[in-house]
Amino acid sequence: MPECPYRDPFKEARRKSPVLETEFDGEPVAMLVGHKAVRTAARDHATFSSDAPFRVPIPREEDVRTVRQYPLEVDPPVHAEYRRLIDPFFRRPLEPAYVQRIENLIEELLVDALKRDSIEIVRQFAIPLQSRALTYLLNMPESEAEIWITWGTHVFRDESGVSKGAEMEAYTNSLFDQAESDPGDDFFSALVKARFDGRPLTREEMQGYANIAFAGGRDTIINSVATAFGLLADQPSALIAMRANPKLIITASEELFRFASPVTHLARICPVDTSVHGVDVPAGNLVSLNWAAANFDDSVFDDPEQFQIDRKPNPHIAFGKGVHNCPGAAHARVIIRGLFKKLTEMISAITIVSERRKVEKEADYERVNAYHELTVKLESSASSPDCK
Amino acid sequence: MAKVTFVTTDGTEVSISDANGSLMEIATANGVDEIEGACGGVCACCTCHVKIRPEWLGKVGKAEEAEQDMLDEEDGTDERSRLGCQVELTDDLDGLVVDVVPL
Repeated sequence: MPECPYRDPFKEARRKSPVLETEFDGEPVAMLVGHKAVRTAARDHATFSSDAPFRVPIPREEDVRTVRQYPLEVDPPVHAEYRRLIDPFFRRPLEPAYVQRIENLIEELLVDALKRDSIEIVRQFAIPLQSRALTYLLNMPESEAEIWITWGTHVFRDESGVSKGAEMEAYTNSLFDQAESDPGDDFFSALVKARFDGRPLTREEMQGYANIAFAGGRDTIINSVATAFGLLADQPSALIAMRANPKLIITASEELFRFASPVTHLARICPVDTSVHGVDVPAGNLVSLNWAAANFDDSVFDDPEQFQIDRKPNPHIAFGKGVHNCPGAAHARVIIRGLFKKLTEMISAITIVSERRKVEKEADYERVNAYHELTVKLESSASSPDCK
Repeated sequence: MAKVTFVTTDGTEVSISDANGSLMEIATANGVDEIEGACGGVCACCTCHVKIRPEWLGKVGKAEEAEQDMLDEEDGTDERSRLGCQVELTDDLDGLVVDVVPL
């Protein structure tokens, strides 16, 4: 088996303590790195609060957006009502027709990819897949994806260094204007029609929902898709095994989410002075819930740095834990399972032509998270539609 | 092959004969309400939570560590709680009855 392309950067810290004292934006952050410590804190919203606009993501986001993100940046009990309003949209991926539509999209993208000598996965495959799939989730015309594709891998922090945050806010504001004058069946119209405790949402709240709908599920899915291609290129046996036994597609998908852990961490704020596993966190300071570190905790996962497509049980927390768990998890699962399914049906080999890894360089660690660029050659399998 | 009955939250009994696989797989294949099986059976979610009827607890057995950790962190669990994905319907369990817990 080829050398594992990922090394857990939190291994040493976790052996010493479940909490790593580090800093972001020049401020101290108590970073939880043990599986149990992260899980427990994620459920304790009184001690570790999400009522912290712009500060749940790390680094903080005052510079790239003007609205609090809903339902991410509110606490129970009001969180439940904010979450309830959008749940019907985020349950759409459970419908068989939705799964079929995503699989058709992936097949179309792979047919196109096979016509090329090579393909740059991040920009030519993952971004179009993420953006077009999001039109299905939000029930928008697929043509809108053309606009979203131009926002790059990360709306706020694309490698170009240009934030598209203001452009996105202006765009979503225009969608709400349109929905108010001519409501349809899309996500934005649903928010216009919604009642929160009997009152309409404010435009600021609507913008807060739209903001995370675009920003939250973007780099995460793009990074997961690119990591999937990179892993299957490194481990051709995984593709062969999934083809022979399609049941492995399910376990392989969960293992991908664990292994990629595309959201490294999210923050909570301590409303009062708190001792966190012996580390004093003053009121108003941040605690980081490091999902990526938790997902490589060897007290829970055997041989965590190995990508094992049949890993079971696999109690990863790549989608978070507790009431703030990722609303888009079902959508993400449909995309990655569909990708693995179509790759097993259509592709016999993936060869990396060139790659540039994305590295999060922080005060106390460097974490490889997906790719800036991943160019691969795809080889069609005999069962591919092109070869019939 | 064995028979299993899921009692859903509104009291409806859904019985499946000649079933095999895990309780989650059987429930999702037969459209039992409130059993989602989001993670596909790897103990990464709690969307196949069921409560085993007391008379069956001994035969079904207890959860292992990863499953128990998940259950400990969910609301509304008790000593009858299991994740359906971790309970294989064996011949020994022919006639098993479980209560479905709301998502």
